[in-house]
Amino acid sequence: MNNSEHKLKSNKEPRPPKACGWMAEFENEHDLLHAAEKVRDAGYTKTDAFTPFPVHGIDHALGIKPTILPFIVLCAGLTGLCTALLMQWWMNGVDYKYIISGKPFGITPASIPVSFELTILFSAFTSVLGMLALNGLPKFSNPVFTSAKFDRATNDRFFLYVDATDKYYNRESVRELLSSVDANSLDEVMEDSTPSEMPRAILLGALLLVLAGLIPSAIVLNMRSSFSDLPRWHVFFDMDFQPKKKPQQTTTIFKDGRSMRPQVPGTISRGQLEQQDPFYLGYDPMKVTSLDTDKQIYVSAVDSTAASPSLDATVQPPAASPAGGAPNLPFLDKLPIEANEENIKLGKTKYEIYCSACHGYAGFGDGLVAKRAASLAQDTWAPPSSLHLDRVQKQPVGQIFHTISKGQGKMASYASSITPQERWSIVLYVKALQRSRNANIDDVPVEQRGSLTEPTPSQTK
Amino acid sequence: MSSKYDLETIELPAVWRSLKPIFFAAGLILLAGGAFLSLFARGADGSTDAAFRFFMHSYLANFMFVMTIALGALFFILIQFVSRAGWSTSIRRIAELIMTTIPFLALMFLPIIAILFANYNAPYEWNVPAEVHSSVIKAKIDVGYLTKEWFSIRATVYFALWIFMAFYFFGHSRKQDETGDVEHSLARQKWAGPCIMLFSLSVSFAAFDWVMSIDADWFSTIFGVYVFAAGMMAFFATTILISMALQNAGKLRAFVSVEHFHDMGKFMFGFIMFWSYIAFSQLLLYWYGNIPEETYWYQVRLNDGWQYLAYGLIPLHFAIPFLGTLSRHVRRNRFGLTFWACWALAVHWLDMTFLVMPNAGAPSFMPIFGHLLGGIGMLMVFLSFFLVRASNVPLVPMKDPRLPEALTYANPLL
Repeated sequence: MNNSEHKLKSNKEPRPPKACGWMAEFENEHDLLHAAEKVRDAGYTKTDAFTPFPVHGIDHALGIKPTILPFIVLCAGLTGLCTALLMQWWMNGVDYKYIISGKPFGITPASIPVSFELTILFSAFTSVLGMLALNGLPKFSNPVFTSAKFDRATNDRFFLYVDATDKYYNRESVRELLSSVDANSLDEVMEDSTPSEMPRAILLGALLLVLAGLIPSAIVLNMRSSFSDLPRWHVFFDMDFQPKKKPQQTTTIFKDGRSMRPQVPGTISRGQLEQQDPFYLGYDPMKVTSLDTDKQIYVSAVDSTAASPSLDATVQPPAASPAGGAPNLPFLDKLPIEANEENIKLGKTKYEIYCSACHGYAGFGDGLVAKRAASLAQDTWAPPSSLHLDRVQKQPVGQIFHTISKGQGKMASYASSITPQERWSIVLYVKALQRSRNANIDDVPVEQRGSLTEPTPSQTK
Repeated sequence: MSSKYDLETIELPAVWRSLKPIFFAAGLILLAGGAFLSLFARGADGSTDAAFRFFMHSYLANFMFVMTIALGALFFILIQFVSRAGWSTSIRRIAELIMTTIPFLALMFLPIIAILFANYNAPYEWNVPAEVHSSVIKAKIDVGYLTKEWFSIRATVYFALWIFMAFYFFGHSRKQDETGDVEHSLARQKWAGPCIMLFSLSVSFAAFDWVMSIDADWFSTIFGVYVFAAGMMAFFATTILISMALQNAGKLRAFVSVEHFHDMGKFMFGFIMFWSYIAFSQLLLYWYGNIPEETYWYQVRLNDGWQYLAYGLIPLHFAIPFLGTLSRHVRRNRFGLTFWACWALAVHWLDMTFLVMPNAGAPSFMPIFGHLLGGIGMLMVFLSFFLVRASNVPLVPMKDPRLPEALTYANPLL
């Protein structure tokens, strides 16, 4: 086969190169423009001009029609717009409804940036690829390169080329036409006679690259569809196994074999004192130790059950837990803060920020969240308690503080958002709210009793 | 070069010169008529307070309508020199004449300062601290930012900066008319960059002070860019219309070609898009954040009938003119470009109305009609200022070294 190929090539060799067209060389762009207009007027369309710099008006002189690229790009842009809108409508409106920041499903103002970007992306790719395609690029060779004179097209000469594939091409008439213009020289462009086949090595190299590129995806596909009992392959070994100890691990450094170290005698850890101060707890921990051990276990269990309710099964709360599992702790029944105007104002502010959403501004458990949940009528919702229930009224102040700090039922802990001082102020305000529902005439200062003759409008916001 | 062109074609038409007092008087009459019609705006108690409030807002909106055009012209001149552009030389004088109306516009701003010192709380609610209920506004008053004295000083500084810049650039341009010295171009190129920085800061703060502070509870850091974008679009529309009108009167025909109109059309198209981009950027953040003090501004604009204007701006200021000016065939067509320039100017007025008027209360027909009359009146006053400036000045900088570039300029054929 090799032999026959060699024969074919050697047979080809003597054939004279084919003529591809005529090319005229010009001194300056004015001559070129003039000649291009003549060629255009003669009806030739398969023409091209080569200049060292962009020449204004050359498109017109060559008779190049405006490109249809803008319309293609417009269509691509609209496709991108529709794709983006459809995608977002489907993803967030139909297929996977997911509440994000309480925003509506489907198409929202937030969809516009994505739509904008896809419009631009589709348009930009279409512009570049369409430009390449309409220009017939990439083009590795052009017959005009065979002319030695043509090198000056990037320097100081202007060329006009008429291709032989033109509908009206006639070798003699084109030569005559181009002779009549003021050209430096006129040459017939010959076909490039060097072999046009791609060298085998390049093809082979490209094939190897493609095959090599398939390897990673092949590995991934193989791993996705098979099972392995080998240990995980650690890409970043020193990140997976760092030279450090984690809690609950063993070590040989210390005699007791624990990597976690006990507290050094005579030191106090950060926040440790707060664990003994009723101001931070709402109850007196010193009195807890005097109670029976069951309760101690319960105290620690209550403190951790918020995160894992399954513990309830193992740690049974003692019978002495009234009203929905509230702990029976030695709660403070006296406020550790002063009941002054400043504190009650602080309590009101914080109550209205954190509590009123569920418990309502007046504490009846009719906040906006509660109303909304009630209107949804889902059975997973436990309505917030009214603070004016008899049971809540009777709670010592420490227990209300404890509820705010640790949470209760569906209510989460607010310890991280509200400081202890503010929590006590809220307790003060709640107590004031409760008192306002059970007030008698003795609570009103004597000098203001006269203004109570007629009912005043509700104080709620 | 001068001998090649008929110098008569770079002068203002004689008829136009005589229009100056007519435009000025007609503009003032229309403004007064608008003020009269705003008397139909009555509060619940039937007092004229609401009418006064409406008129002051209307005056401010209409003032911003023309002020932003002049600022757009100033910025256009600055970018021509910072980018050393040649194509625009033949239309640059028109922009220069528009920007030199700023001193006259400073006079038009005086009524607003006067109202502040007469202790009225319209259009600026913060001017009477005793009647302010919002703690946010009170804080801004207490730190001394929103006070009539400091406000007036700032306004003076803005106007001083703009007038200085405008006349620096105009002065060099006029001197070059005499000598043709390239040094005048180089000096302007040198200072264009620093001037752009001063310009962007001063315009941003002017927008905060003059427009955003009518609703001082609310803030938007992008607001200055919004006003700037709107002004640029309106400036290109205005320049297109003035150039078209001059050509229709037989002037500038050898200087301003379809290529220049095409380019101004591109700019107008670009700023239609840019305005939409900025307006949407502002909206999206507040919509997503959904915080009362931030959405409040939109709340005011989406109630009491103003929602028709707010939603209407989406098609009128974006979708329709965007698609309308998208095609190069439209931008190269005299009628097409004139139509869309008129459209852009009209929606710019609507946009300024949208920014200012909802704070004056619910719209009703007669006062809004008065506001429209005021807008037309303000535009006529503005045009009379332009005519005053243009009367004894050639409309093309004939000795600018970049003029040949402008005259031979062509857009590449797409």
